[in-house]
Amino acid sequence: MSAARWGDVATYAALIVLAAFFALPFAWLISLALRTPSEIYLGAARFIPEAPTLANFKTIMSDPAFLIYLWNGLKLSALGGGLAVALAIPAAYACSRLPFRGRGGVMLGLLVVQMISPLVILLPLYRWMDALGLLNRDLSVIAVYGALGMPLAVWLLKVAFDAIPVELEEVAQIDGASRATILLRIVLPLSRPGIASAFILTMVMNWSQFLIPFILLERDADWPISVAIFNFAGSVSASTTQLLAAACLVAVMPAVVVFVVLQRMIVSALIAGAVKG
Amino acid sequence: MTAAAERGPGQGHPAPWLVPAVVVLALFYAVPVLDVFRLALSDATLIQTADGVSTAALRSILTDPALPQVLGTTLVFVAVNVVALQVIGLVIALTIVRGERRGLPGMAAFRTLVLAAWVVPGIANGLIWGMLFDEAPYGTLNSLLGFAGLGPVAWLSDPQMALVSAVIANLWQGTAFSMIVFYAARRGIDPVLYEVAELDAAGPWRTFRSITLPLMTTAIAVNSVLVSVQTLNTFDSILALTGGGPGRATEVLALFTFNTVFYNLDLAGGSVLAVMLFAIAMALALLIGWLGRPRGPA
Repeated sequence: MSAARWGDVATYAALIVLAAFFALPFAWLISLALRTPSEIYLGAARFIPEAPTLANFKTIMSDPAFLIYLWNGLKLSALGGGLAVALAIPAAYACSRLPFRGRGGVMLGLLVVQMISPLVILLPLYRWMDALGLLNRDLSVIAVYGALGMPLAVWLLKVAFDAIPVELEEVAQIDGASRATILLRIVLPLSRPGIASAFILTMVMNWSQFLIPFILLERDADWPISVAIFNFAGSVSASTTQLLAAACLVAVMPAVVVFVVLQRMIVSALIAGAVKG
Repeated sequence: MTAAAERGPGQGHPAPWLVPAVVVLALFYAVPVLDVFRLALSDATLIQTADGVSTAALRSILTDPALPQVLGTTLVFVAVNVVALQVIGLVIALTIVRGERRGLPGMAAFRTLVLAAWVVPGIANGLIWGMLFDEAPYGTLNSLLGFAGLGPVAWLSDPQMALVSAVIANLWQGTAFSMIVFYAARRGIDPVLYEVAELDAAGPWRTFRSITLPLMTTAIAVNSVLVSVQTLNTFDSILALTGGGPGRATEVLALFTFNTVFYNLDLAGGSVLAVMLFAIAMALALLIGWLGRPRGPA
């Protein structure tokens, strides 16, 4: 066997070990979610349930509160992601097309603020939202999501705008189009994949957010799924592990599926951002 | 025709374009951070407003016997994660690049698997690993170990083991980020260099030491800082996995801050801790500016 062949064997050996580590939690979660209560106590011996059941999902999904949590999660993440992208577009356009002094500073500043823990800024924001009467309102969460997602969105959109030939804009400008028109009619339509990547990434980030909705929304009925499963876990005993597993699976799946389906686009946007940044 | 149109795409006033971003940065980052400093020097609680300047909170937090333990746990948690995340991320990135070059099947599927763990919400991550680390005989890992005649391991009830478990859960979720950064950096290396190495009959280890590693140092340095800050700010997965316990064995600084404010309602004390979190993150951010200077950040 040649050296390259041995290398292939080593490659797969490494990947199998790592794949086992990364796949185990998913596999186990699915296994638990398909078990009957009595099979929970059989551990790994019943990794493949003898009589797989969808009863756990039925129990979870038949609870109207659970559907509301999912809807809240979707609503808050999508509106927050949309806000982040909308706020980012003008700044990303300026950083891509207008050579001004301090442009590097703006981009670096956006990188730096991403390092501030949401926990730090949430302390004052909680008090302000309270004073403004925005506590327990979706608007407060959406606004914070917009602010948290904007820096990443500016970076991704700048890279996307950079890839559009400037000649197209010059032609439009000769025809008398204003810069706003150029942005709306030429730049934005041409950078749809970049905009979509930024929107989906910020949305997935928001879907995972726990702290902000947990603190800003006190009413059970306003919670997104990430907060609801934490609360649910507190009330779970060994006899309802299969229900928690099903709930976790339902909470995790939307983000994973969206990401897996669109990963080619998203990963290439991230890689472009990493390289050009 | 507007004035801007006569100047061509290379020119124009950036100010109006930057207004939304600057307003957001000011309202949601700059002013809140200043306010945290002010709150740290007050006696505010979550339900009571500040009443003058006071260093009482600062003194009580700094003399809190829990603080040294929390900072020690944070240091261990961050340091171990930063090393392990990047070693695993680098191994995966290089393995995938090699597999792709050799046309081996399964590379995209593997990358997808690692990325899937990345988008799992932190709370769900803690809950899922909580099931895997379940110490009952039917818990995942303990029942697997049981087959091999080993265990049971006190994954979550032993203080030292609990920290190891928290690190494992974080590795599962966090590796993808380093993988993407290193994958991008490795793909950015001129393939001609590898052809030359092959002509010189350099072995894989020698090629790695002399080409791959030196050309990826900037990426590794910058990524180290990014990953440190991310790990420093992580707390939701630990909250769901151990709640910071047993005792304070897994209570990192971010979780300690969260508990101080939202369970003890001590806003001033929590603000002191938040200032610490902020100061450490900014010190690390300054490092990035310095490390990234030759080639720009990230």
